[in-house]
Amino acid sequence: MTSPALLLLVNGETRRVLAPGQTRLSTILRDELGLTGTKIGCDAGDCGACTVRIDGAQACACLVPVAQAAGHAVATVEGLAASPMGDALQRAFLHHGAAQCGICTPGMLMAASELLAGEARPDEAAVAAALGGVLCRCTGYRKIVEAVRDAHRFLAGGPAPVAPAAGCAVGERLARADGLAKVGGTDRFGADAAPDGALWLRAVRSPHPRARFAFGDWAPLLARHPGLVRVLTAADVPGRNGFGIYPDIKDQPVFAPGEVRYRGDCLCALVGDRAALEAIRTEELPIAWTPLAPVTLDDALGGEPVQARWPDNVLTTGRVVSGDAEAALRASRHSAAIEIETGFVEHAYIEPEAGWAQRVGDRIEVFACTQAPYMDLEEVAGVLGLPQAAVRIIPSACGGGFGGKLDVSIQPMLAIAAWLLRRPVRAVLPRGESMASSTKRHPARIAARAGCDAAGRLTGFAFEGRYETGAYASWGPTVAGRVPVHAMGPYRVPAVAARARAIFTNNPPAGAFRGFGVPQAAIAQEALWDRLADAAGLDRLEFRALNALRAGDVTATGQRLAHSVGLMACLDALRPRWRALRATAAAANALADAGGGRQRHGVGIGCMWYGIGNTGMSNPSTMRITLGPEGLVFHNGAVDIGQGSTTALLQIAADALGLPTDAFRLVLGDTDLTEDAGKTSASRQTFVSGRAAAEAGRALREAILLRANAGPEARLALRDGALLVDGRPVGLESTLEGIGRFDPPTRPLDADGQGIPYATYGFAAQLAALSVDLDLGTVHLQRIVAAHDVGRAINPTLVEGQIHGGIAQGIGLALMEEYLPGHTENLHDYLIPTIGDVPEIECLLIEAPEPLGPYGAKGIGEPALVATAPAILSAIRDATGATLTRIPALPHRILEALRR
Amino acid sequence: MTDIRYLAPGTLDEAVNAFAAAAGAARILAGGTDLLVQMRAGVVRPGVIVDIKKIAEMTTIEETPEGGFRIGAAVSGARLAEHPRFGKAWPGVLEAVNLIGSKQVQGRASPGGNLCNASPAGDSVPAMIAAGAVVTVQGPHGRRQMPVEAVPAGPGRTNLTPGEILVSFTLPPRPAGSGDAYLRMIPRTEMDIAVVGCGVSLTLEGGKVTAARVGLGAVAPTPLLVGPAAEALIGSRLEEEALAAAAAACSAACRPIDDKRGTIAYRTKVAGVLLRRTAAIAAERAGRA
Ligand SMILES: Cc1cc2nc3c(=O)[nH]c(=O)nc-3n(C[C@H](O)[C@H](O)[C@H](O)COP(=O)(O)OP(=O)(O)OC[C@H]3O[C@@H](n4cnc5c(N)ncnc54)[C@H](O)[C@@H]3O)c2cc1C
Ligand code: FES
Ligand code: FES
Repeated sequence: MTSPALLLLVNGETRRVLAPGQTRLSTILRDELGLTGTKIGCDAGDCGACTVRIDGAQACACLVPVAQAAGHAVATVEGLAASPMGDALQRAFLHHGAAQCGICTPGMLMAASELLAGEARPDEAAVAAALGGVLCRCTGYRKIVEAVRDAHRFLAGGPAPVAPAAGCAVGERLARADGLAKVGGTDRFGADAAPDGALWLRAVRSPHPRARFAFGDWAPLLARHPGLVRVLTAADVPGRNGFGIYPDIKDQPVFAPGEVRYRGDCLCALVGDRAALEAIRTEELPIAWTPLAPVTLDDALGGEPVQARWPDNVLTTGRVVSGDAEAALRASRHSAAIEIETGFVEHAYIEPEAGWAQRVGDRIEVFACTQAPYMDLEEVAGVLGLPQAAVRIIPSACGGGFGGKLDVSIQPMLAIAAWLLRRPVRAVLPRGESMASSTKRHPARIAARAGCDAAGRLTGFAFEGRYETGAYASWGPTVAGRVPVHAMGPYRVPAVAARARAIFTNNPPAGAFRGFGVPQAAIAQEALWDRLADAAGLDRLEFRALNALRAGDVTATGQRLAHSVGLMACLDALRPRWRALRATAAAANALADAGGGRQRHGVGIGCMWYGIGNTGMSNPSTMRITLGPEGLVFHNGAVDIGQGSTTALLQIAADALGLPTDAFRLVLGDTDLTEDAGKTSASRQTFVSGRAAAEAGRALREAILLRANAGPEARLALRDGALLVDGRPVGLESTLEGIGRFDPPTRPLDADGQGIPYATYGFAAQLAALSVDLDLGTVHLQRIVAAHDVGRAINPTLVEGQIHGGIAQGIGLALMEEYLPGHTENLHDYLIPTIGDVPEIECLLIEAPEPLGPYGAKGIGEPALVATAPAILSAIRDATGATLTRIPALPHRILEALRR
Repeated sequence: MTDIRYLAPGTLDEAVNAFAAAAGAARILAGGTDLLVQMRAGVVRPGVIVDIKKIAEMTTIEETPEGGFRIGAAVSGARLAEHPRFGKAWPGVLEAVNLIGSKQVQGRASPGGNLCNASPAGDSVPAMIAAGAVVTVQGPHGRRQMPVEAVPAGPGRTNLTPGEILVSFTLPPRPAGSGDAYLRMIPRTEMDIAVVGCGVSLTLEGGKVTAARVGLGAVAPTPLLVGPAAEALIGSRLEEEALAAAAAACSAACRPIDDKRGTIAYRTKVAGVLLRRTAAIAAERAGRA
């Protein structure tokens, strides 16, 4: 059938498109008109990334049949800058750091522009109402609200952009160095570009948690669908059919060789033209299934092995033992015990996995969203059986990661397809497939006990954690190793016995998710402190202050913390707010009691510490800066997934070198063009790559001073491409180079977990104030106060952005997020916080400098999240007396806990 | 996908003819906020799509000569909110319609689509039931009317006969002293499907309830008209005993399921809690009207 011609008025231009009327407007904009600023996060109306305006009103382009848009004015992010308010809004977003990864940004901007068209100075409630349909997983929404409310100030120019002079960048609120593309909608995410003529790849995934399967004859399918070019199965993998984080555990097959181990496991891939792949129904595929009884956490220990290599289903056991915890607990004046259970949590980055691969002679190039380009490089080389030099990874802009894009997803299969077919091949995972196949936060079942003496001083702590690692190892060993080190929290505990095991089941692989298992442990640990504080008759904050680690203390792993232990400073900063919030809650409760109200108010507290970088393992980073005829170039291989490393590292490098940030050109990520900076995980990029950037800046500075024969205090300047040292021109015929490398000093843990697991730790304490509806079991958050010791805030706006975003994810963990395989594989049933779910957040930045870090800085990415859920659960208990042992604290669970 | 025929007729008769001619292979498209999602998921694969947004009768809001309202089935929630008088007469129905999805969804989604999609949790339905709305449907055999609660037959199924299209909702005139309200319970603050929804419409005279209707959503395979709850309220002054009896009637009417959003016990209890709270708001509005 021929498609009718439709006339669309897009950003003021008339565009003629030939398409069936029911085609989604989003498809037309992106694929026909090349307007890829409109993003696709779910294709189902749930995320709002595709928000455009039709006749001025915001609409999800993925829900609009193009026939209903024909004849109407469609406005997309590409046209925003043409209007004064649109331009002001974009600049306000940059100024306030309202865009992190940037995948939600076009949708946010379009939704906000509708609001601002009617009301230039909206209040917070109006902003929340207007933006309620756009999800952001990175920012916690606070800076977006600020930016929208402040946009009017940028109409008449607004505040000048922060442009620090040479040597003054660290500590400044510099706007993101990669921000313009994000607010303009021109950043290239995995789904936004592909080489011409690229074929598409569609993975075929298991609908069963555990099953054997056999393929029948593919010929009839290939004959029925001429556009289907090739079916790839295990037999087609040129190299090793396995990938995995650890060099000795490549246990996850690219294509399962006959048995699938979780719902979402990949058994084969179809490659062909897009329409042909979309037309193929799953029922048509020649696959004969023999479902098997899945192994669950209930029966994994002592049950059938999920993988033959681990007969007892225990992947790894992590332990920390110091002193005699049992004896200490027996002798304690007060003791408390708790058992908690948490579920799978989905990363829910708004950008589903997407990218392409192409063969270039005897090399392969892969462009995809990732947090770890060099690990992708090793995996791709492994599955293709190629030397690593034959692989080039080009990270796309990454629309959120949070640990979920540390594992490869589509990269190996794209590479195999492109290699064998000698044609570019691309893929975009639909939301449901992304959620079914990707890694999750480990569900945990934790039993913990603790004791204190009459004065409230902690005596002993025992922790037993079973962490469900799912079907494949992924980051399971990292979680099992990190948890026991952190399980007792940032406190002086003389006797500790902590054990965590990562256990296989036929569920999705649990991998890395902001905090590597520590957030789950912190929930148990902080609940115990509340009870012990009550038992000892101490205020909950003062109990923590009494026991808090201080500089000079020795941890349960035997490590002496010499510097940068800012927990006491965090608690001191919180104390006046704690008292005020508690008084407010008490007054509200008194009022409710008098009036028969059914809302109970409460305030909670949670503390945390977090080791920066890998646990007792080398994790180096290398940075390179060059100065030559091509100018000043910062080669930075650290992937910025929205957290801001591109900007923070630039600030560090600039100050170390002594030139302003705007003098640099950036070369980012590409494994052919940059050095290995290690992965963007474990909150390590500011600390580890930041230190490497500082070293690189210093090294280049020395090279310059040597060439100019100038002293250490010499002032550098770049003017019209010429280098001036103390005002004197210095020739740049040959390129000068500064290379910096840093590997944080650690010592591997022994069998009892003794050693130096991390070179430094982040510390934090957070307060949550909330009310609980006693009849509905709902929680209304009123305020969160977060005090974080970050060593040094290289860029306070970025640090606050990380804290806000981490808190939003902590809210989700505490109150709503629970991934159930087969039931919540979309953003309709899997709930993440919306703009209305994140209350006002006050950030208190504490700077206890870390001598090893660049300008004293440590990390913030994961610390931001860890304390939030404990603080919220502590507040629920304060309000109602109920201790939640099953997380998330869904309303029905709160009512059940109230009845107990 | 390309083998779908997309029709956008300008009159109801054309739409009915095209819909009937396709004999089951066709789907009506209003705002598309359910239909496009279901098509994308492969749950629905229509051969013909009949877009009803170009039909005047289905996209207008009228005041009836008797003083009620007639709302075209394909009117969007945003349009209903813009009407100068509708929200004053039926604030509860309006708030229910405007709880459907986000701003983006409200600009498109229609009460007709909400009803015909036949989700047990459709937000506008309990409020329409409480309002005593009557729907007009037209099919190959002509027009007929039925009470709104008679439309849903079960999850995803309606009692419309093959070829019938829902044309409009008619809401009765409002006597003095009337008010309505709708409340739903969701775990998230917005953009979520009701765990329980409750609509209440009341008429008060001198503080005494003279008329009442109660609708409940998400607690049974279809939204419910809860007669016993209304009876418990009629004749009362909304004293504790009357509210307790009405709440108990709501809980008793529940035939919910256990799912990820809530347990049977939870939904049953919350139905009663919401009845009390919704009735209080409706009464407060009635007192002002
Ligand atoms: C992000 C998102 C959030 C949502 N949130 C909510 C929510 O909070 N509460 C809620 O109740 N719903 C919600 N929904 C569901 C949906 O938006 C509503 O059900 C909406 O009212 C459907 O209206 P529509 O006009 O878009 O219907 P359509 O999708 O056009 O149609 C829905 C169904 O009804 C049929 N139909 C439509 N009109 C007629 C007619 N006149 N005669 C016969 N059949 C007809 C269609 O064929 C289709 O099967 C949400 C949907 C999305 C995508
Ligand atoms: S892509 Fe349209 S709402 Fe998510
Ligand atoms: S910045 Fe909003 S999703 Fe990343």
